[in-house]
Amino acid sequence: MTMDKKEKVSVLLAELKMYVTSGYKHKFSHFDHLGNEDVYIELHDKCDISAVANVFKQHGGRVVTITPYVVDSGYQIAYHFDVAGIVLTVTLHTEDRTIDSITPILKSADWTEREMQDLFGIKLVGHPNPDRLILDESMAQGIFKEYMTLSDAMTGAATNTLWEKINEAKGGHNE
Amino acid sequence: MSETYKVPVGPIHIALEEPVYFKVKVHGETVEDVDILSGFVHRGMEALVLRRNFLQNMIITERTCSLCSNNHPFTYIMAVEKIAGVRIPPRAEYLRVIADEIKRAASHLFNVSMLAHLVGFHSLMTQTMETREVLQDVKECIWGNRMDLGANTIGGVKYDLDQEQIRYLIKQLNLIKKPIKELTEIYSYNGIVRARTEGVGMLPKEDAIRLGVVGPTARGSGVDNDQRIAYPYVAYDKLNFEAILEDGCDVRARALVRLREVFQAIDLVEQCLKDLPDGPVTTGGLPRIPEGEGVARTEAPRGELFFYVKSNGSNKPERMKWRVPTYLNWEALKVMMPGNKIADISVIFNSIDPCISCTER
Repeated sequence: MTMDKKEKVSVLLAELKMYVTSGYKHKFSHFDHLGNEDVYIELHDKCDISAVANVFKQHGGRVVTITPYVVDSGYQIAYHFDVAGIVLTVTLHTEDRTIDSITPILKSADWTEREMQDLFGIKLVGHPNPDRLILDESMAQGIFKEYMTLSDAMTGAATNTLWEKINEAKGGHNE
Repeated sequence: MSETYKVPVGPIHIALEEPVYFKVKVHGETVEDVDILSGFVHRGMEALVLRRNFLQNMIITERTCSLCSNNHPFTYIMAVEKIAGVRIPPRAEYLRVIADEIKRAASHLFNVSMLAHLVGFHSLMTQTMETREVLQDVKECIWGNRMDLGANTIGGVKYDLDQEQIRYLIKQLNLIKKPIKELTEIYSYNGIVRARTEGVGMLPKEDAIRLGVVGPTARGSGVDNDQRIAYPYVAYDKLNFEAILEDGCDVRARALVRLREVFQAIDLVEQCLKDLPDGPVTTGGLPRIPEGEGVARTEAPRGELFFYVKSNGSNKPERMKWRVPTYLNWEALKVMMPGNKIADISVIFNSIDPCISCTER
């Protein structure tokens, strides 16, 4: 098992070298005593993600999930793929909040891409079904990345109705 | 009547225990298409965990879901341990398997009992739940809780088994072997169950692979993706077992995978108890979590559970993301539903063992 996975990783990395136009950096690999290998890769250009997805598709891979997170200069997006029991985490950087959808290549990316669009406001280019998944139409996409204090949220949600009713019951006047 | 209608099921509906919204397109009695919307109980846990330290997050992650509650902290902790470079003692590895397999057996029995309920076979449902109750007692006696076991901690486990507890565990497992065998016979061959499950909700193998479906939902279509074997963790590489596959691709096949996995879980616990090594159950103390990133995954009762943790050297994670098993299985409903009758919707829905509280972390 150990040798199989190691060989597979070197095959995958060699193929990525061929197809990824702007190149990548193999950040590190994590090995454990059970023969598992987790590979961490960084792409130099975000446009190469489709090429990566294509390579992994050829080897029967799938998307496990996608993790977007905010950094000072935009967003980092970490794609986690599974190929033959190996987890490959491919990270890329986007400043303009747009990204090519890989759902046409790997269908398993569908929901997680739409969730990323709803919660982080990252625009997907070429997604076959870019509808809302989590947020209602009345809310702006990406609203979750805005910082809102609990007291602000409460002020927005509460009205004076209850207070006015109490006032009335006490015989007071509401202005 | 040959017209096409759209039937809304949800978000709050009598047939659903948790809120999700299906827009079902029907032609007469037959389902043509289904659209799924979620997000009605989104709790923002991924944001919440960034405001808690690594130790507190063990508690939060366990509250993601009730049925696979043990797997959430278990997987999270393994990701953190990878970052910190911690290797847990051998006894803790076995104890982690025991807690996980007891949870799996109880979770699967719950799902198949719901199937009996949905096909209207209520005596079978109560019988299954009664058998499951033995496992609930086991959980309460050993871990002190019927659902959230709190078994894992960073660097090991929080519980140990003495000789008396081991004897008790073996006795209780022996107690349910016969009832589960009888139940499996009923689920496999009873006329009512077969009529409602055989050939219902078909998910061909190619679609299961294309959609990246996980867990018993995939194994019922013959997709071998048991993470305990494909990506071994803790003591699973030392245990003797094989992935359970069925090729029926229907609701029945998925139920049979779960029932067979209950036997497998009992067997795995017995193997662990037989080979349980001596020694400490934790590395002791909390390690410093350095800057880094780690992934971990386990085979939860519903399928592969994945955690990604990124730390920046502080005592809180910089980013944490988890992908629950049900998340990938929703899209499979769009393949399973068309061509079936309206009455089968709930049976098919149950067959993916859906968890909305998981989906909406």
